[in-house]
Amino acid sequence: MKNPYEVLGVSQNATDEEIKTAYRNLAKKYHPDNYNDSPLADLAEEKMKEINEAYDSICDMRRNGSSSNYSSGSYGTNSSYSSTSYPDVRQYIMNGRLDDALELLNGVPEGSRNAEWYFLMGMIYSRKGWGDQAYNYFLRAYQMDPGNPEFKAAFNSVNSRRAYANPGYNTNSGMGCSVCDICTGLMCANCLCNCCGGGF
Amino acid sequence: MFGYIRVDRANLLGKEFDAYKGIYCALCKQLGKDYSVFSRFILSYDCTFYAMLALNITTVAPCYKQGRCRFNPFKKCLYAETESKALSLAAALSVISAYYKLKDNLIDSPWYKRLLYRPLQPFFALWRRKAAKNYPEIDASVKKMLDDQLKAESDPHCVLDKAAQPTADMLSEVCALLPDHISCDERFDKIKLKRILGAMGYYMGRWIYLTDAADDYEKDKKRNGFNPFLLSDVSAEQLPAYIEASLNHALSEALLSYGLLDKGRYDSIIMNVLCRSCVNIQNEIVSSFHNKNDKNGELNEKSI
Repeated sequence: MKNPYEVLGVSQNATDEEIKTAYRNLAKKYHPDNYNDSPLADLAEEKMKEINEAYDSICDMRRNGSSSNYSSGSYGTNSSYSSTSYPDVRQYIMNGRLDDALELLNGVPEGSRNAEWYFLMGMIYSRKGWGDQAYNYFLRAYQMDPGNPEFKAAFNSVNSRRAYANPGYNTNSGMGCSVCDICTGLMCANCLCNCCGGGF
Repeated sequence: MFGYIRVDRANLLGKEFDAYKGIYCALCKQLGKDYSVFSRFILSYDCTFYAMLALNITTVAPCYKQGRCRFNPFKKCLYAETESKALSLAAALSVISAYYKLKDNLIDSPWYKRLLYRPLQPFFALWRRKAAKNYPEIDASVKKMLDDQLKAESDPHCVLDKAAQPTADMLSEVCALLPDHISCDERFDKIKLKRILGAMGYYMGRWIYLTDAADDYEKDKKRNGFNPFLLSDVSAEQLPAYIEASLNHALSEALLSYGLLDKGRYDSIIMNVLCRSCVNIQNEIVSSFHNKNDKNGELNEKSI
């Protein structure tokens, strides 16, 4: 097993708070929701498991060694679905047999295509790397059944990718100016005006 | 290859930029060594990124040595020297993709440009033959990309995803090839590495294709050429947002795939490319659409 501190990317002398922050950042980054419709979903799940185990093991070590006050309790990785109209299709998608899954779904008559049908079409196209088609199907599934947490999560996930807002990553372009930049600018301008005898 | 995958120098540390520049110069040198001094002119940022991706996971780190630039003897450069095939692979990808791009240009371009390209063809063909002998998989992937692209473009039911797939598949195959040719650090599991690099390559390829398409949108629209963004029925007002969302999505997927890889020696530079440089490049392209829409809006107001 890997060194749990290395897995979390912290030193052995890190404080409890630092460990917690590192764990939270990694959990955000590798959360199954981010990879649900990705062909690498299984690898992300493995990574999440590794992080959870590392965090739990550090918590145990510290609880036993010192009297650190820790509330363990790692992020869950199991995303289950309660009922499904297409168990075979879901099985094919999980096994990577996307063409077979697509064939089964295309065989469903147009009149009986429910929100789950659109959601599963989105999953297939997303795993194929066809992001544009996947988005349209996820959107349709969400519009048809906005209360379903699975459809909502898939739609939110694809939406955040389309906005380049990826949890756990610093993906801001650094362009534009914030409120702080404006205040700093005004303060500098004020100083310059004071030097010249003016000011505001 | 289009040269969109480059670093954002303003957000790199001095030592990181030196490391990147060392790979760029070393690839230039490798092209000269493997093919010809003239093949150095086809050096691209995309292939430098490919070399960096390979060097990121090699067992032994490259050794940086100082030397003089062939084209400017007064300039001293750092060269990343490596025992691995990373640079040789990137050089092969450079000449093979340059050959097929030239071949494509000879079909697509107007007659006066073809007159310029024609004399270059025997040289490019010679380099490509040499590269294909060593790396037949790269040659097969790039050739397949061009054939599939032609097929996709002539398909009346073509959609954006289908049009982007040949480039995405090509880069996916070429990236997944890396663990077969270079000895990787023992931290990396070869099968997982191939899957992650393949997925990352797929979305980088998709991003490159869509970025180039967005860049050429106006030109293609004017001459009635093929452009994946002309396939959808999105209105002119919504087009910038649609393009931005498509590019963001491809880049996000590339980033999420890369995120599953254990950190290599060039992690900070690769993150700079994915999180800064590519974003800046696409922002620049998308803002030109916004500017155009603003101008049109102003003209409409004036006419009213």
